[in-house]
Amino acid sequence: MTSRRPVVVTGAGAICALGDRPAAIHSALCDGTSGFATPTIIPADASGGAVVAEVPGFNAQSYFASGNVRPLDRTGRLALVAVERTLQSSDWTLQRRAATPLGLILGTMFCSVRTIGEFDRRAQQAGPEYASPLDFSNTVLNAAAGQVAIWEKLRGINTTVSTGAVSSLDAMGYAARMIRGGRADALLAGGAEELCYESFHGARQAGRLAPPDGHAVRPFDSARAGTALGEGAAFFAFEAEAAARARGATIVARVAGCGSAYDPNCKSANPGCGSGAVAAAIERALKDAELAGADVGFVVASAGGSPTLDQREGVGIAAALGAHIPVTTIKSLLGDTLGASGALQAICAIESLRTGRLPGVAGLSRLDPAIAIDATAETRAIQARHALVTAVAPEGNCAAILFSLA
Amino acid sequence: MQSRPRVVVTGIGVVTSVGIGVDAFWRAILAGECGIGPVESFDTSRYSVHIGGEVRNFDPRGFVERLQPNGMARASQLAIAAARLALADAGLDAALLAPTTTGVSMGTTSGEPSMIERFDDREMAGSRDAIGAEFIEQYPCHVLAAHVASELGFAGPNIVIPTACAAGNYALAHAADNIRDGEADVMLAGGSDAFSRITYTGFARLGAIAPQRCQPFDKNRKGMVPGEGAAILVLEQRDRALARGARVYAELVGYGLTCDANHMTAPQGDGAARAMQIAMADAGVRPEQIGYISAHGTGTAVNDRVETAAVKQAFGDAAYQVPMSSIKSMLGHTMGAASAIEAAACTLAVRDDRLPPTIHYETADAECDLDYVPNHARQASVELAMNNAYAFGGNNASVIFRKHRP
Repeated sequence: MTSRRPVVVTGAGAICALGDRPAAIHSALCDGTSGFATPTIIPADASGGAVVAEVPGFNAQSYFASGNVRPLDRTGRLALVAVERTLQSSDWTLQRRAATPLGLILGTMFCSVRTIGEFDRRAQQAGPEYASPLDFSNTVLNAAAGQVAIWEKLRGINTTVSTGAVSSLDAMGYAARMIRGGRADALLAGGAEELCYESFHGARQAGRLAPPDGHAVRPFDSARAGTALGEGAAFFAFEAEAAARARGATIVARVAGCGSAYDPNCKSANPGCGSGAVAAAIERALKDAELAGADVGFVVASAGGSPTLDQREGVGIAAALGAHIPVTTIKSLLGDTLGASGALQAICAIESLRTGRLPGVAGLSRLDPAIAIDATAETRAIQARHALVTAVAPEGNCAAILFSLA
Repeated sequence: MQSRPRVVVTGIGVVTSVGIGVDAFWRAILAGECGIGPVESFDTSRYSVHIGGEVRNFDPRGFVERLQPNGMARASQLAIAAARLALADAGLDAALLAPTTTGVSMGTTSGEPSMIERFDDREMAGSRDAIGAEFIEQYPCHVLAAHVASELGFAGPNIVIPTACAAGNYALAHAADNIRDGEADVMLAGGSDAFSRITYTGFARLGAIAPQRCQPFDKNRKGMVPGEGAAILVLEQRDRALARGARVYAELVGYGLTCDANHMTAPQGDGAARAMQIAMADAGVRPEQIGYISAHGTGTAVNDRVETAAVKQAFGDAAYQVPMSSIKSMLGHTMGAASAIEAAACTLAVRDDRLPPTIHYETADAECDLDYVPNHARQASVELAMNNAYAFGGNNASVIFRKHRP
């Protein structure tokens, strides 16, 4: 067993429909505050009456005393605000970044498919000479990471990771491995995803959205019938423990272990696929952390009301950790934020560890008997040292990360 | 000193405009053949430029066997073809590889742009409802790695790193770490991008596309030429490869990743130089030991000038002794696939002691005064080759390959 450098969390920042501070987001989740509302971003004739979890009145410019956010699209701006908050919270000042290159590992599913679609439609309708070169630079899938790096002077490793709804968990795993391997002392890691017509309409046409009548999103419930989309961004400052201590940083939590897995049978629409890969990702994270399943106090899962994915994830969690493990989710209050979700779940997990309060699963009234886990609609008190975050994607990607109290 | 597993390249699969398969590709590259011609995949009559590096006569049905060829878009088809070619070249049977320790790491600039283009066509035609589930199922870029792994049954690490025009190098570097960290024994790593009207429009609007040919480092160079293609390298844990008697092309001995944090589309140079220096330190080698540099070499005025200065910054006086060529002169810029295809060229150069030329080189430029291997392939001893790639977002990546001695 090779000796590894322990990785700690020295700060966090987030923005979503429920707020722009980790503690406020967690508190809103515990109170069962819904972030859903009638969309303002989606054209009314395309929304089909669905609700979404937009960041209400989002104005990135208001977070900065100077500079112009105009070159960034919505995904870039969401990422920028969360990164700015992370830098403040971890005390990675501009002077510190000038002396030591700091990197950014950003998970996203679409980056901005709105920017891409609008650029293309403009060129097709008005002619290529009317397409904007400035917009073109945002059509690349690493645009948000590049724009935020420019704004915040992040000269270290800059990598965009895309594994669908697992993107930000895989981005955090990538960052942790880079730090352990000695390739960086500190990295910002997380994810960002905007809500836009293109992704919304795509999800709607594929039947992934809950019907607009009645209760929108019901994770793990027998009557679950689809998800609802949200948007947001969340990042963490990951740091080698020795480096963090040397600079006197506050250690918020520890990144105890990471694991990923893939089920190659999901692309061919095998209905029973995936839960084994979820369990494998969890087992790898436990092994990586040198912890046992019994050490895990609770799970913040990615379940968002999908008939297939919730079962895949729940069954996988139960297989790895047993039926008595408390499980919660965030998507029935702040929506499915796709590539940002894993990082927002991690915000929930770390705040739950720190406060001893685990949010309930909003919308859950009757647990699907096929999913043998301990999930409840009520927020509960919980004492735990270790929390697990899991994510699954329809295509077969899965990831798990274990966080521990500092 | 190194107790971590070493990583070797044991197979190459390439799908390019000058040849499909490693032998056809390498023969054409050494012969200085050009794959650039009039664009055929869409109408360029409204553009002021009309050439591109498209892969002609590619039939996915010869490669996509387990999945449905028409159930995925072109970049996935190209990737699967490259993957199957690479496995065959490595003498590996997908069915005999251990699924959980065999993974896929892919780079891309655009994922599956034809899917958003089709979305846009329907949107513009007023037939929004004709957009079906295929958009959300086939568009997001992570489907590239998912399709390859599902086609071949691989359950190991699975990731897409969409760091634009340097993505292939990022994917290779990550895959090497997967093997060094013991997460995989075999990784299929590389990049894939399909010819796209969005990409073409964008570079046309930047005024970056050359009207007739791509002339990297030439005084009269007039720009880059968009292209397409895919390359996948089989990376294998060295002991495993030797135990099975595999033919080894080269060893992947180091890499460096940095970010300019300066401008979205204009390279700055310092970040590129730092990436080269980090890669050399990682590999434990000095500049004068590098026998070949595969340049990013797009053929734009600014890239080639800044890149030349960056090599001088990183290599010092040794810059004038290191041959550096750009095969983009033959293939055009294949986006996220480019550095993967160029990595294939580097490993072949290391194996054969043959340097690919920069074709269309006629007039020396005072600002580009290095040895660009003009017009004709060259015999030269290559112990170490460095593969350089730069991207929108200021993402820089250098990877180093070493001649393998059993």
